[in-house]
Amino acid sequence: MADNVVVETRALSKVYRDFWGRQKVRALKALDLEIYRGEVFGLLGPNGSGKTTTIKLLLGLLFPTDGEALVLGKPATDVEKNERIGYLPEESYLYRFLNAEETLDFYGRLFDIPPEVRRERIDKLIKQVKLDAARKRQLREYSKGMTRRIGLAQALINEPDLILLDEPTSGLDPIGTREMKDWILELRDQGKTVVMCSHLLADVQDVCDRIAILHQGELKELGRVEDLLKVEDVTQVSARGLSAECQNEIRDVIARHNGELLSMDNPTTTLEELFLSIVRDSEARPGRRVVREEEATPPENSGESTEPPSTAS
Amino acid sequence: MIQEEPLLPFKTWLLEWDADRWGAFWHFLLVMVVLAMLSLVIGLIIGTILHGPVKAGERAYRVVANAFRELFHISPRRIWAIARVAMQEALRRRVLVAVAVFVLLLLFAGWFLKTDREPAKLYFSFVLTATSFLGLFIALLLSVFSLPNDFKTKTIYTVVTKPVRAGDIILGRILGFTLVGSLLLLVMGGASYLFVSRALTHTHTVAAQKELPERTSRSDGHSHKLEVRDDGQIIAMYEHGHEHSVEKRGDRYMVSPPEGMIRARVPLYGELKFLNRQGVEVEKGVSVGKEWGYRSFIEGGTQAAAVWTFDGINEDTLIDEGEDGRYLPIEIVVRVFRTWKADINTPVQGIIQLKRPGSDLKTEPEFFFADDNTIDLKYFPESLTDTNNQPVDLLEDLVSEDGQLEVVVQCLDRAQYFGFARGDCYIHLRDASPFWNFVKAYISIWVQMVVVIAIAVTGSTVLSGPIAMLFTVSFILLGFQRDFLMGVATDKVEGGGPIEALVRIPTHMNLISDFKDQHFGIKLMRLVDDGLQALMQVLASVLPDFGNLSTADYVAYGFDIPWNQVLQQLFLGGAYVIGLAIVGYFLLRNREVAK
Repeated sequence: MADNVVVETRALSKVYRDFWGRQKVRALKALDLEIYRGEVFGLLGPNGSGKTTTIKLLLGLLFPTDGEALVLGKPATDVEKNERIGYLPEESYLYRFLNAEETLDFYGRLFDIPPEVRRERIDKLIKQVKLDAARKRQLREYSKGMTRRIGLAQALINEPDLILLDEPTSGLDPIGTREMKDWILELRDQGKTVVMCSHLLADVQDVCDRIAILHQGELKELGRVEDLLKVEDVTQVSARGLSAECQNEIRDVIARHNGELLSMDNPTTTLEELFLSIVRDSEARPGRRVVREEEATPPENSGESTEPPSTAS
Repeated sequence: MIQEEPLLPFKTWLLEWDADRWGAFWHFLLVMVVLAMLSLVIGLIIGTILHGPVKAGERAYRVVANAFRELFHISPRRIWAIARVAMQEALRRRVLVAVAVFVLLLLFAGWFLKTDREPAKLYFSFVLTATSFLGLFIALLLSVFSLPNDFKTKTIYTVVTKPVRAGDIILGRILGFTLVGSLLLLVMGGASYLFVSRALTHTHTVAAQKELPERTSRSDGHSHKLEVRDDGQIIAMYEHGHEHSVEKRGDRYMVSPPEGMIRARVPLYGELKFLNRQGVEVEKGVSVGKEWGYRSFIEGGTQAAAVWTFDGINEDTLIDEGEDGRYLPIEIVVRVFRTWKADINTPVQGIIQLKRPGSDLKTEPEFFFADDNTIDLKYFPESLTDTNNQPVDLLEDLVSEDGQLEVVVQCLDRAQYFGFARGDCYIHLRDASPFWNFVKAYISIWVQMVVVIAIAVTGSTVLSGPIAMLFTVSFILLGFQRDFLMGVATDKVEGGGPIEALVRIPTHMNLISDFKDQHFGIKLMRLVDDGLQALMQVLASVLPDFGNLSTADYVAYGFDIPWNQVLQQLFLGGAYVIGLAIVGYFLLRNREVAK
C-alpha cells in the first residue's frame, strides 16, 4: 500500500442479518476504495445507499461480512487506529448531561491526553467552534447547530490525521453550513484527510476533492469532482480582449463548422444533475457498476483526467 | 445464631487441594479455563460453519491475540474517565432519591417495630435487610440500563471510536457504579446506625425513697430488678439483653442508657459429637422429625449427650473478674423438644459438665433450666470439684496437654429432648466493637452490591436493558437459592431432577417413594434429568452464594463477624469482578457496536 493511502477497502461487503442469521439487506457490495492523504473525500448516495455503513465499517463499529478495510495501515477493527482518527457522527451522540468542557475533557481522557495538554486543547477548540459563551451549559440545552459544533470539537480533540464526518451539514442553517464547510477546508489546508458522507450535493461540490457515488450498496461513480462535472461535448474557450470583429469571426468559424455557440461562460452542469442521472441510470439498469479506478491518482498530481464510468458485471 | 457450615480458615478456603473440596482459587481457575475452552470451541464451530475452518481459526487467533495485546493497554485515566461519566449519569438519574426513600422508611419504622424480646435483633435485621435489598436493587437499576442506554442513544459510537479498550469500558462502569453505590451504602449505613442506637436507647426511673425500691419503672415493656453491689454501685439487673447502671445523686437516682444491648461476641467454637442413649459415640443425635436437619437431638433421662470439644484452651481463654478469680465463660443455646407437654411453665432441666478428653475426669454436674432458644451463660471458675467430690483445677486437670477441653450437656427430664448444632455452644472469648461489626456487615452488603454490578454490566454488554435486568435478577435469585439448586443437581434433595419433579406433581407421588416399574419412560426421564442435573451443577458452581454473603445474622444475634469471613467475601467479590470483566470484555469487543 502506498504511503499516501490513508484508507483502503478491498471488496468490502456488508450483509445485515437478523437474529437467526437470515439475510436482511446487502448494504454494501464489494466496495473498492482508496483515499489519499490530504484530500477531502465525499461519499454520496441517496438514503440507504451504504454511505453510513461504509463509514461505520471504516470505524470498526461494524464488522465486514467479506473483504477488508484498512485505515491508516491497520485493520478497521483495530482499536489502535482510533488514536489518529476523529469522528463526527450523524447526529451528535454525546452525553447530554455533560457541558461542553466536561464533554471535551471526557473524550480527551479517553485519548489518555495529559491534563495540561487537555486543558489547552479544550480551550482552543471551544473558541474555535465558537462555544465560548456556552461552555458551562449542559448539552441538552444546546441548539442543533451548537450540538454539531461541539460534535466537531470532540472529533478534533486528539488532533487527528483522518477525520470522518457523517452528514456534517445536516440540519444546519445556511450560515452553519458555511461555517462547517470552512472548517473542513481549513482541516484540509492543515494537511488532514477528511472523509465525509452526505446527500447534500452542493456541500459536497463545494468542499470535496474527490467523490464516490454509492447507490444500493454499489459504487457507481468515482473521481475528481471537477472531472466528473466536465461536459465532454462542449468546448469552452476563454479569451481576453477580443474585439467585436474577432468575436464575429469566431462565430463565423463555428457556424462554418456547423457548430453552435452557446455562451462564453464556464459550461458546467450542477452536481445535482449528475447525481440524479446516475441514480436514474442505476435504477434503469441495475447491476451496472464501476470497476476499481485504475488511474486514480493522489490529488498532488492533479490535472490528470479520471476514467469515465465503465461498465462491468 | 445459625451457622450451617463452619467457617474455614482463610488459607484452606483459598488454596486447599482436595478431592472433595477445591480451594476457591482453584475453583476460579477451573471455571475460567473451562469457560475459555468452551467459548473457543463454540466460536470455532460457528466460524467453521459460516466461513470455513481456515478463516475461523484466523479469527479466533485474532480475538485471542487482540485480547492479550489490549490487556496491556488498559489505562487508568480512561477507566477513571468512564467511571466519572457513569457516576454523573447515576447522579443525574436521581439515585439519591433512594436515600430519601430509605430515610423515610426509617422514620416510620419505629412505629411498627416494637418488641419486648431482643429489640436489637429486630432492629438490626430490619436495617440490614432493608439496606441490602434497597442497595442491590439500586445497583441493579443503575448498572443494567447504562450500557444499553448508550447503545440506544448511540453515545457508544463516539466512545468506542476513541482508543478505548472494551476492558476500560467494563471496568470503568463497574468502578463508577461501585463508587456511587458505596456512597449510598455509606449514607444508609450512617442513618441505620443512628436509627438503631436511638431506637434502642431508653431509660427507666427509680422512685426516690429512703430504701432503694425493688424494681425500676416499666419502660419499653420491661423493668429491671435493682441490686446494690458490694462496692455500693447500683445495678439495674440484666434483663432483655441489657442492664443499666444507676447513680445516686442526693435523693434522686439517675439511670444510665442501656449497656450491653448491642454486642459483638467473639466466640470460640468447638467440634460437636453425640452420645446415644446407651452412651455410645455417634455422629448425629436423634431426629425429631424436623425437615431441617441442622440440629439433632438428645433424649432426656438417658445417657445421651452432646459433647463439644474445644481446642486451644489456655489462660487467655479465661476471663479475669479481678478479685473473684478467673472464669471459663461458656454460652449455650438449647432448643427444647417436648414429647409430652407436662407443665409448660416448668422448664426442662439439663446438666452441663466439663470433661478432660480421653479420660473419665468430669466436673460435678451443673444444673440448668433450658429456656428454649435463649443464650444461657455458664461461668466455670478455675477450681472445681469432680464427680467424686475431689477438687480439680480447670487448666491443670481438665484441659488436656494439647489444650483440649470437652463440654458435655445432657437432658434430665425423661422423654424430653434437647436439640443442638455445632454453633450452639461456644466459649465467649471477648466482645469486639459493635460499631466495627456493623461496618463489617456493611462490607458484606457492599460485596454483594459489587457482584450485582459486575453481573449487570457484563450482561448488558450484549443484552438490551430489560433483558439484562431479567438476566441479572435471575442470577441473583438463583444465587440466593444456590444451595437448593446444588442439592437438586447432586440428588441431595429428595424428589429427583426437574423432569421427575414434573412427573411427581400431577401423579401425586410422594417425594421419597421410588418409581416401582422401571419401564422405558422412567429410564428416559432419568436420562434427561441426569443431563439437566449436570447442567444445573455447572450453573450452581458459578453462581454467587448470596445467602452466604450476607452477614446480617451475625450483627442481629450479636456475634462478631470474623475478619476471615470478611476477607473471604472480599476475595470472592474480587474474583467475580475479574471473571465477569473478562467475559464482558470478550462480549463487548466482539459484538458490532452499530446496527
